[in-house]
Amino acid sequence: MNIQMPRINQIPFFFKKQNLLIQCGIIFFIIIILITLIGPFIVPNDPFTANMSERLSPPSSVYPLGTDHMGRCIFSRLIVGAQSTLGITALVVVTVALIGIPIGLVIGYIGGRLDTVFMRLADGILALPEFILAIAIAGFLGPSLTNLMISIVFVKWIAYTRVVRSIVISERNKDYVLAAKVGGSSSWKIIRRHMFPQVVSPVLVLATLDIGKVILTISSLSYLGLGAQPPAPEWGAMLNDGRPYFQSAPELMIYPGLAIFFVVLAFNLMGEGLRDKWDVKSR
Amino acid sequence: MLHINSISKTYHSKPALSDISLTVQPSESIGIIGESGSGKSTLGKIILGLEKPDQGDVHFRGSNLHTLKGQAIKALRRHLQIVFQDPAGSLNPKLPVWKSVVEPLENYPDVIPSFLNEVRHDRKKMAEVLFQKVGLSPELLERYPHQLSGGQKQRIAVARGISLEPDLLVCDEPTSSLDVSVQAQVLNLLKKLQRDLNLSFLFISHDIAAVQFMCERIVVLKEGLVVDSFLTKDLFSQSRHPYTKLLVEMSMDQEYK
Amino acid sequence: MAENKTTTTGENNLLLVENLSVTVRNSGKKLIQNLNFSIPKGEIFGLVGESGSGKSLTATVILGMLSKSLEVTSGTVKLGQSEITSLSEKELRNIRGHDSAYLSQNYQSFFTPFIKVGKQFIEIIRCHTNMSRKEAKKVAIHWLNRVHLPAERVFNSYPDELSGGQLQRASIASAIMFRPKLIIADEPTTALDVLTGERILDLLCELKEELNCSILLISHDLRHIINRTQTVGVMYGGQIVEIGKTSAVVADPIHPYTNLLLQSRLKLSNQPPLELQTMLGEPGLIAEEGCPFSKRCPSVMKSCSNLVPMNSIGTHHSAACHLVKAEREERYVTH
Repeated sequence: MNIQMPRINQIPFFFKKQNLLIQCGIIFFIIIILITLIGPFIVPNDPFTANMSERLSPPSSVYPLGTDHMGRCIFSRLIVGAQSTLGITALVVVTVALIGIPIGLVIGYIGGRLDTVFMRLADGILALPEFILAIAIAGFLGPSLTNLMISIVFVKWIAYTRVVRSIVISERNKDYVLAAKVGGSSSWKIIRRHMFPQVVSPVLVLATLDIGKVILTISSLSYLGLGAQPPAPEWGAMLNDGRPYFQSAPELMIYPGLAIFFVVLAFNLMGEGLRDKWDVKSR
Repeated sequence: MLHINSISKTYHSKPALSDISLTVQPSESIGIIGESGSGKSTLGKIILGLEKPDQGDVHFRGSNLHTLKGQAIKALRRHLQIVFQDPAGSLNPKLPVWKSVVEPLENYPDVIPSFLNEVRHDRKKMAEVLFQKVGLSPELLERYPHQLSGGQKQRIAVARGISLEPDLLVCDEPTSSLDVSVQAQVLNLLKKLQRDLNLSFLFISHDIAAVQFMCERIVVLKEGLVVDSFLTKDLFSQSRHPYTKLLVEMSMDQEYK
Repeated sequence: MAENKTTTTGENNLLLVENLSVTVRNSGKKLIQNLNFSIPKGEIFGLVGESGSGKSLTATVILGMLSKSLEVTSGTVKLGQSEITSLSEKELRNIRGHDSAYLSQNYQSFFTPFIKVGKQFIEIIRCHTNMSRKEAKKVAIHWLNRVHLPAERVFNSYPDELSGGQLQRASIASAIMFRPKLIIADEPTTALDVLTGERILDLLCELKEELNCSILLISHDLRHIINRTQTVGVMYGGQIVEIGKTSAVVADPIHPYTNLLLQSRLKLSNQPPLELQTMLGEPGLIAEEGCPFSKRCPSVMKSCSNLVPMNSIGTHHSAACHLVKAEREERYVTH
């Protein structure tokens, strides 16, 4: 129909009612970032100091969430652990995007045989269960945080490349790209100037949603003993540490579990919100 | 200036163009008329070097358009520009429109079009001059395509088309997605620019009235074949091909029939 | 308020639209204002206008398919004996198909892609009647023949095996199967080639005679309106600014919008103009108060920002413009 629909409302995006969820997400996100940045300077106790005389003690004014099986302050470990969990996650996601986006742009734009070869390769890697592959790599290279990151990056970049590639393929034959070609723009320039801006917002959404998943993967692998090594405070590793005491002291697992839960929730909410805003599905 | 020698093109084993020959002289405007599926858009893309013909060749300014490579083809392309049908699709939605307009000028830093002599060093100023040339207010420079009307977008596409002062401007149905009152504005603009800049026009359209208004010579395409080719003033001549006559009759008002 | 002799008189009216206004529910923005027109039995009425003029919206109101976010704030739409704006969804469904039929420019999306055309016809028929499949097929074949299609072949085809013209014909067949009294054709030829489009219009005119129905032809193409309609309403910014016998409106347009629209369009002629007449601005430029065209009008005056009533000039022609009076006086003096 030819009716010009009036703008629904002019309220800034952040304050719209339907964005209540994303608002919560953003507030969580800000809190998490603050904790990660300034947390280590304000923790009540040293997260590494073991005090066997006070092991498994209940919450008190000295230990806000009690102590673990080694008598370390759970609260302090959680706060400091946020830095390693989120730091690794951020590093993983950024690395994945830095590898995945350029490859996707080039493969999508050039297409042809290069594309076919890549896609078969990707199908091959994706046919393996992501988690198992990460375990295999981590097992093969030895358990350490670096190897854990390498294994996650190895599996994840393909997803980004595929998203970027499919967007580029749907855009590359549009008139504005043809016009740029006719205007003498090189392929490199077209990729940089015209294709890249199209993929930024979908990749951002994908990354935000992925952060949750990566945190879970890191935590799970750490839980399996393939990631952070004791005594490093990492949420997954803390879960692993608490496992033997699950019956007697469930809070050892409950607190890191809740921390993971809230962080993943925050990023998912943000991701969903961004997706709605940029309407990625309609691409 | 442009010589097309019996080109043919096949898509999915269906002939899209068969044995088309055409010559465009400098500052001549030629209309290509055809219904959908007549191959008129394919012809446009071949002339722009965006597609390769299966047979035949296209010579532009003395060089074969489809055998040149690298810098040579880039140097030739400079003289060959296009205005597409859908103004919304021909501008990058994520770029402010002035950047789309000056993009060709960035690619050819040595080209100094006569009307940009004074401002060649400043991209924004060039965009401003080009906007002025197509009758747009400089206030619109920073806008994004979705903030502009169809007519404004098409003017911007025209500005980009003439930015390098090309010899030949291919217009692929430039006004068929516009409203009647806007169509008139854009056609007048194109006609004025053609006169002022001494452009050659290849005007592709399904609307015989638009072509009559814009062009000196008309070529009628039907199912990939040239069925008729004539000077516009002979449009109503008795010797026209029956298909042309039919198109003319269908495009007339009842009162004239 | 808007006195209009051409549209409200006459007993034979099939469709009568009076004082119709439509607004956006939340913002109160007016999309259609005080629309008045009528379509007599057996006539083709044209609505012409550019994008944003509200012509398609008018069609949705007549079909009772107004979007939930819009509402009819005043006026009546009478089709035959029924008052459309007060009917329930169930009653409306009965009217659509039986009394009114809709043809859109999107003939491609009219049929579901992976089901054979014939099967879809049978489904439609059995929705409205109690026929058996066999009878329904007979009916479908009959109507496919009526729109000059190779009935059996089309019946057994998938939609993507048919050309644009054939699909539009098939959609016409399905629209007219229940002998509607009013066919609303919303830009039926826009997506088609010139020749195919003309043949579709030929077919519509032919069917109009056979079925003795009326057609509301909505188009932005003045040529179709001039060639095919008896009466025309020119819309701008949600209002009819000029209405009357097509021949009178074309020969003697009063409203500057009609006038400029007629002059700025492309037409074949022995002496094509060197330059087309243009009007200022673009169709989105609509004045909120008074005459919607006043922001683009070359002969705008102060009083144009107040409501301009419809004034008739002759029995079958009226326009919402001050120029009507001037025109009347001129006629009075010259005759």
